[in-house]
Amino acid sequence: MKNMVGTKNKRLQTVLLYTLAIIVLIIMMYPYVYMILNSLAPWDQVDRRIIPTGLTLKSYIWLLFGGTDVMPRPWLRAFANSMIVTVSSTFLMMVTAILVAYALSKLVFKGKKTINNVIMFQMFYPSIILLIPTFILVRKLGLYDTYWGMIIPKSVSLWAIFMYTNFFKAIPNELIEAAKIDGANEIKILFRIVLPMSKSITTVIFLFLFMERWVELLWDMLVVHNQNLLTLNVMLAQMFGPYGAYPGPMYAASVILTLPILILFIIFSKNFKEGIQFVLK
Amino acid sequence: MKRRQEKLGWLFASPYLLYSLIFFVIPLFGALFLSFTNWNLISPQYENVGFLNFVKAVKSQEVRAAFFVTYKFMAMFVPIVLIGSLAISLIINSLPRFKSLFSVGYFLPYLASGVATSIVVRGILSYNSALNVWLRNTWDLNINWLGSSTLAPLIISVMIAWKFMGYYSLILTSGLESIPTEVYEAAAIDGATGWVRFFKITLPLLYPAMFTVTILAVGLVFGIFTEPYVLTGGGPGLSTNTWQMEIYNQAFSKLNAGYGSAIAIIDSVVTFITILVVRKLLEVWGEKYGWD
Repeated sequence: MKNMVGTKNKRLQTVLLYTLAIIVLIIMMYPYVYMILNSLAPWDQVDRRIIPTGLTLKSYIWLLFGGTDVMPRPWLRAFANSMIVTVSSTFLMMVTAILVAYALSKLVFKGKKTINNVIMFQMFYPSIILLIPTFILVRKLGLYDTYWGMIIPKSVSLWAIFMYTNFFKAIPNELIEAAKIDGANEIKILFRIVLPMSKSITTVIFLFLFMERWVELLWDMLVVHNQNLLTLNVMLAQMFGPYGAYPGPMYAASVILTLPILILFIIFSKNFKEGIQFVLK
Repeated sequence: MKRRQEKLGWLFASPYLLYSLIFFVIPLFGALFLSFTNWNLISPQYENVGFLNFVKAVKSQEVRAAFFVTYKFMAMFVPIVLIGSLAISLIINSLPRFKSLFSVGYFLPYLASGVATSIVVRGILSYNSALNVWLRNTWDLNINWLGSSTLAPLIISVMIAWKFMGYYSLILTSGLESIPTEVYEAAAIDGATGWVRFFKITLPLLYPAMFTVTILAVGLVFGIFTEPYVLTGGGPGLSTNTWQMEIYNQAFSKLNAGYGSAIAIIDSVVTFITILVVRKLLEVWGEKYGWD
């Protein structure tokens, strides 16, 4: 008898637990749901109703072609700019990190220790101090108002270097020695052995770098003035005030900004789960 | 073979080294140099003003606001995000099935742009929003959310906590998973269940993970920029004027590059000391209760 009450209690507990888990999930998802619903809502219902009674694409059409009294902005161009900048920047961050991490973890050369210490120092150095002089430098180099101005100063990630170095160190040296005996050179070893073994950590590093680069505001806002080069995130921030009277299109633009990254993450979420455990250690 | 490695090592490190020379070493000295000048980003002429920028910064009302605003954010954001992420990780850890499905779901806010979140928050809190109409009609409450110097920083803290909770809870969940089940079984024999079990076993054994999350959260507060920039402009009345807002305003709106650099240096020193103090406090606290 006592046992039966026990299982009943247990079942009730599980139900309550899942209910709680789902409520929390709804709260965490709510801003996204709100954004999507309001981007599709008739304009007289935007921000007025919890669930709009009708659906319309008016906000998206207005966003792309403009209204009667408002100039259209190059939103699609901004989306493309975000893609160009984020993809190039992330790609460079990955490549530079993989190369230096491989050197630091698997090659023997003089000065290795010093480089390691410099990386540690840079990781703890507050980057805010570098903001103003870097801006001046980028302007001097003629990179102001160019894609390169957004890409090159963000082409190295210390965090990625740190993560890759630790991961490569965990790959047994015997594997590499064996490959060397078979006649493989260092470059072959890196591409044929080390990188294929690092798939899950590569996914995690790629996703984190991509996400962070995609939503960068301050730097991209400083270094680009030309309307045709703005990233989507910066354009959205600039239109926050001016488009205040047009909340519908602002939600539409937010959806265009957010959806790609959500989809990208969900596609990779399986690899992400495998790799994240290493990153958190 | 040895010489080959020697060359290859430097070759592989060279992109990083070149980058660091240009975008770390030069700006490092540049910042020091700038902070002693009155350069305005445009004019070809500038003077060395000694410590004047630093003196001006310490006396400035805006910089003082940034100093206190940051601690106000810390007092709001750190507890919210700690309790939130702890709750999430406890939920994930006790679910018998679909653990990873839920943890991915809870992680999704981390992908949000602060700008998009600000648009949503402005909408939810706008005068005619469903929430405000309901508050007015049912409770006769008329709240000017973003116009209040107490509520504005709280709203921004909640926004940032929302974004980071799922991420931090991943760290705490892996901490929870590392607690051996034998410990709980032994405690159950001694009669420890429920809250006693939570406070006497789970929390102390979770100390290393909580330590990491707290330090991350404290460090994060010093980098708040997007939300105040977009949503409140640092107001009302400097109540959300963070360090980065102040540096941005001085250097890039008012073009006081020299003065802005001085503020950035002060900010870094304050950040460094704060994190050091928090670390020390947590360590002392942990030792006192035998948590580490």
